[in-house]
Amino acid sequence: MSGPVTTLPLLERASAGDPLFVINGAAGPTGAPRNAAPLPRELAEHEQYRFHFDMTKCIGCHCCEVACNEQNGNPPHIHWRRVGEIEGGVYPLAQRFHLSMGCNHCLEPSCLRGCPVNAYQKDALTGLVLHNAEACIGCQYCTWNCPYGVPQYNEERGVVGKCDMCYGRLSQGREPACVNACPQGAIEIEVVDARRWREEFESANAPGLPPAESTFSTTRITVPDAIAANAVKVNEHRVRPEHPHWPLVIMTALTQLSVGAFGALWVRVSAGESNGIAMAAAGALAAGLIALAASTLHLGRPVYAYRALRMWRRSWLSREVLLFTLFAHAAAVYAALLWLGRAPVALGAATALLGLGGIFASARIYRVPARPAWNRPYTNIEFFLTALSCGPMLMEAVTGARGPALWLAVTAVAAQLLNQLLKLLMLARADQFELAASARLFATGLRNILVLRFALALAGIALPLCGLTAAGLIVLLCSEIAGRYLFFVSVVPTNMAATFVAPGSASRRHRRAAA
Amino acid sequence: MNLKRLVGLDTLANDYAYADDALAGYTSTQRLAERWVETTCGYCSVGCGMLVGVRNGKAVAVRGNPLHPVNQGKLCPKGLSEHHTLAAEGRAVYPLLRRNGALRRVGWDEAIDAMVERFIAIQAAHGPESLAVISTGQLVTEEFYALGKLVQLGFRTRNYDGNTTLCMASAVSGYKRSFGADGPPGAYEDFETADVIFLIGANIADNHPILCHRLTKNAAATLVVADPRVTKTAMLADIHLPLKPRTDIALINGMIHVLIRTRLIDPDYIERHTTGFAELKASVERYTPGYVAGITGLSPETIYRVALLYGRARAPLIAWTMGVNHSAQGTETVNAINNLALITGNIGRAGAAPLSITGQCNAMGTREAGFTSSMPGYRKFESEQDRNELAALWNIDPERLPRSRGLAYPDIIEGAVAGRIRALWIIATNPIVSFPNLDVLRQALNRLDFLVVQDGYHPTPTTELASLVLPAAIWGEKEGTYTNSERRVSKVNKAVDPPGEALPDFDIFLRIARRLGCADALFPGWESPRDAFEEWRRISSGRLCDYSGITYELLESRGGVQWPHPPGADPDSTKRLYTDGRFSTEDGRARLIPVEWRPFPEPPTKEFPFVLNTGRTVEHWHTRTKTARVPVLNYLSPRAWLEMNPVDAKRLALKPHDQVDVVSRRGRVSGVELRVTETVAPGQVFLPFHFEETNANAVTQSAFDPLSREPNYKQCAVRVEKTPASKRAWR
Repeated sequence: MSGPVTTLPLLERASAGDPLFVINGAAGPTGAPRNAAPLPRELAEHEQYRFHFDMTKCIGCHCCEVACNEQNGNPPHIHWRRVGEIEGGVYPLAQRFHLSMGCNHCLEPSCLRGCPVNAYQKDALTGLVLHNAEACIGCQYCTWNCPYGVPQYNEERGVVGKCDMCYGRLSQGREPACVNACPQGAIEIEVVDARRWREEFESANAPGLPPAESTFSTTRITVPDAIAANAVKVNEHRVRPEHPHWPLVIMTALTQLSVGAFGALWVRVSAGESNGIAMAAAGALAAGLIALAASTLHLGRPVYAYRALRMWRRSWLSREVLLFTLFAHAAAVYAALLWLGRAPVALGAATALLGLGGIFASARIYRVPARPAWNRPYTNIEFFLTALSCGPMLMEAVTGARGPALWLAVTAVAAQLLNQLLKLLMLARADQFELAASARLFATGLRNILVLRFALALAGIALPLCGLTAAGLIVLLCSEIAGRYLFFVSVVPTNMAATFVAPGSASRRHRRAAA
Repeated sequence: MNLKRLVGLDTLANDYAYADDALAGYTSTQRLAERWVETTCGYCSVGCGMLVGVRNGKAVAVRGNPLHPVNQGKLCPKGLSEHHTLAAEGRAVYPLLRRNGALRRVGWDEAIDAMVERFIAIQAAHGPESLAVISTGQLVTEEFYALGKLVQLGFRTRNYDGNTTLCMASAVSGYKRSFGADGPPGAYEDFETADVIFLIGANIADNHPILCHRLTKNAAATLVVADPRVTKTAMLADIHLPLKPRTDIALINGMIHVLIRTRLIDPDYIERHTTGFAELKASVERYTPGYVAGITGLSPETIYRVALLYGRARAPLIAWTMGVNHSAQGTETVNAINNLALITGNIGRAGAAPLSITGQCNAMGTREAGFTSSMPGYRKFESEQDRNELAALWNIDPERLPRSRGLAYPDIIEGAVAGRIRALWIIATNPIVSFPNLDVLRQALNRLDFLVVQDGYHPTPTTELASLVLPAAIWGEKEGTYTNSERRVSKVNKAVDPPGEALPDFDIFLRIARRLGCADALFPGWESPRDAFEEWRRISSGRLCDYSGITYELLESRGGVQWPHPPGADPDSTKRLYTDGRFSTEDGRARLIPVEWRPFPEPPTKEFPFVLNTGRTVEHWHTRTKTARVPVLNYLSPRAWLEMNPVDAKRLALKPHDQVDVVSRRGRVSGVELRVTETVAPGQVFLPFHFEETNANAVTQSAFDPLSREPNYKQCAVRVEKTPASKRAWR
């Protein structure tokens, strides 16, 4: 864009010399204009709106949070603006600071970058990061990408939602609901020059927040002068397992199995062997198709799954969908031709390569900075080792052969265990809060499942060596599914501080009373 | 979930749409109003003006009223979501009478018949005063006025008190002792004009956020906060005084000592407007900074410095809430505060006042117009002149008016335990959660022959015990007035109809009076709250709380008027009381009352080594009858926690989020989430009292102020144990 933008009504008002646009909570109760400084002015090139939050003024009353909830008609558990606490010092010089946060309307929004359906846009007029619920298919990838946990999935709707700085109210020359509600005037709207902000983004940092440079958060935060060195998020001891995403557990494990099997089949067929191959291909195809069907169940809007292909130029999620779709088509044709006994070797190679590409894209999906325990090579290795272990094992189980593929599979299982052990070691030694917290989850609530996963994997090695390949495949698959479950639930996302008592967690007694 | 939603064709786009509201602007369509009703918030005594949005007969939104002088458009999170209290689940919708052990639906006539017949029968058998009534600070003033007449003149029992005794009774009796009458002398404006603000036992950031909003406007003032806990408010302070629990009297006496010694007092004011200075001076002789330091744990320098700060201030404001009132020495603490203000002449001037911040939305209304600890219009039971005057106004025989007050709330409970009180009528309060020493209270309620609970909600822990439940309209469903902490009378209006057969308390009182046969005598020609208000204006005329110039129309047009307001008065001229230095005592002088610090009633021991402090959180109101039913508030604060210093947690091998039991000599609170925090001192723990599930009053004690009868909620001795795995309440 070039030159001042004047098409947003509020900007028309500002440029027409109407001094009434208010951004600092000085307006009336409804956010309606009143006499106050006429900011934001019209935006020049490279400028955008942003929040300013003053930590020294906030008293943690949660008015902004409640007002946001009311403004947007959200259910009680969805909070597009949240207030968290950090605490430090020593009695009586104790400190508690609150951070209220909506969306940071980043210069490089990771929600937008990852979105497979282009439901996000960085508004050309205001620089605000806007989300379109109609375009959204509910894949929730943005909720993994945002380092601040800003986009939130509304399971009732099947789509994500997030703070848009009350765009509709801004358009009317009214202040956002949170700004309007804050009794302390701690939240304001400002204009920022995006180019300068890339140099000055340090003031988007605050204790307990992920570093601003990962997405260039635009929210300016006024931080108190002297924060105690021991200040921490008040929820630092409360670490809960994440959502398991069962459809994705099934989807990733089975696509990897299927790809591994087709790879093994291709090698076998290239070597001129054909015994039981067609049946194995049918089994591998079935696993792949089940996986793809399962993946749509992850979506809030399964009927629009096809839209996920759209952003393949930008989103690894789109690329994964694209590659696995192509893989499934190639695999279906290849399997059919194998059945007819005249499958071209090149098609087998293409199938395997598309599948491997799909696994690579899969792994890239999870390599996001906002989920540090995923954002490591262990993820890629885990996914490929699932393919290398389960795929050949499937082939050997169906064909009844006990060739090199079986040895490959068994070796891959051992490598998978090693990979898992190395990951645990890395987590246990990590200083970063999210990684150490993951280790704590493995050591506490997830310990039994972890032990089970290892025991099953060992059985998955032992049984085929004793000649029980089919049984080996079953326990191996169980082990990988358990491992994948752990992969999903053990990750601790980066986020802002929360409150001490977990929101929404009424006691059992209370829930009983309410019922 | 339907199929279209399941496959994703339907995203409930209509429910989540936005539209333009004429008043509120662009907002969720769920919040679109057809009309906006001006009213006053029904939670606390700050008395914020608000607008309730109504669509299809339902309250759908709330907005702060920008024109209201108290809040200028701002609201706290409870106010911002108050409309959810109206259509909440668990409203009481029809009368319920207990038969064969179970509450069964009955009609209003049957309910009122049963109530009046039982009350009369019990009174006939055990004397008129075997009936007691416990009301609230939640009704409108018109209802308090009607209820007082109904109880004292209709049912002829003096044993009538409010839950306000659990809240601000010490402020009332403290004001009465010092100034000769109740009535907070200051105004909220003082927060903005004072140069020193001294908050004692007041965590306004959590409990009165809109006053905090007014306070923080005054950046130039020096804020001093005396609180043993490092509250959000203490963190805002320029000087936080982390004194030991309940040592505020020593601190104030120490300040008075320093001020007298350094001659930072106002001898002229003392001479002309007070009595008792010599006695006061003698009483604080030994409260040297060194002596006070030993009691409070503060340094002598700090005491000296704060005294000088207050003494040299141009217009210092002292404001307090429950840290002062919730004490067996609450009245005396209020007197000490008043002493400090009086000897420095810091009363009746802009910015300078000893200001009690009240609790409930209309606690002030029952203080003025009720008939509990005094007669309507701050008239004293003991004063023949007052009795004669009131009897003449009511056109009744003065002998019908009691010569002394009846039992206060805790004494009613004790009377029930002893079998002297046989029938009890509880209105708009939930003692099972709010009254100290739960075990004794349960004994009391279980011994009653007949318990009537009149409430907007059912079930509550208290209505569940009732013999009869009367369903009442609540805030938003009825008309009247509230008075806030700065004596500002504001209008309360009906936005929606009450649910089911629920009736406004006013209508219930009238029905009872008719059944009792005293309606014509007590409430001649009354049909609506306005009739009561008109009579109350006459009754209050010439009194300190003079309403005679206030009309509903004036209130609507000005967004509240501070009393006293005789006809034609300039509403801006009555911001403060005692501007002329004339007090409501017989000689017109304020009394300086010597006060001695004493330790709180139950010091920690080896077996119970912690001092338990109780209090609130910003998301909840009192016993959560309302706020537990507001989903967003209950989501934000779903359960209680116990604050403990890391030193103590380490010693007890307790970790954050452990479930712990709090045990006192009287009982046990089980399964509380442990919050290890530097905001409480070693040796002290803090528990919010809102939660029935972890009822703080299972451990609090039966210790009451001898003058105000207010409970000593804030300190008792407890120990903390890890909850056994089998008894954990949550995961």
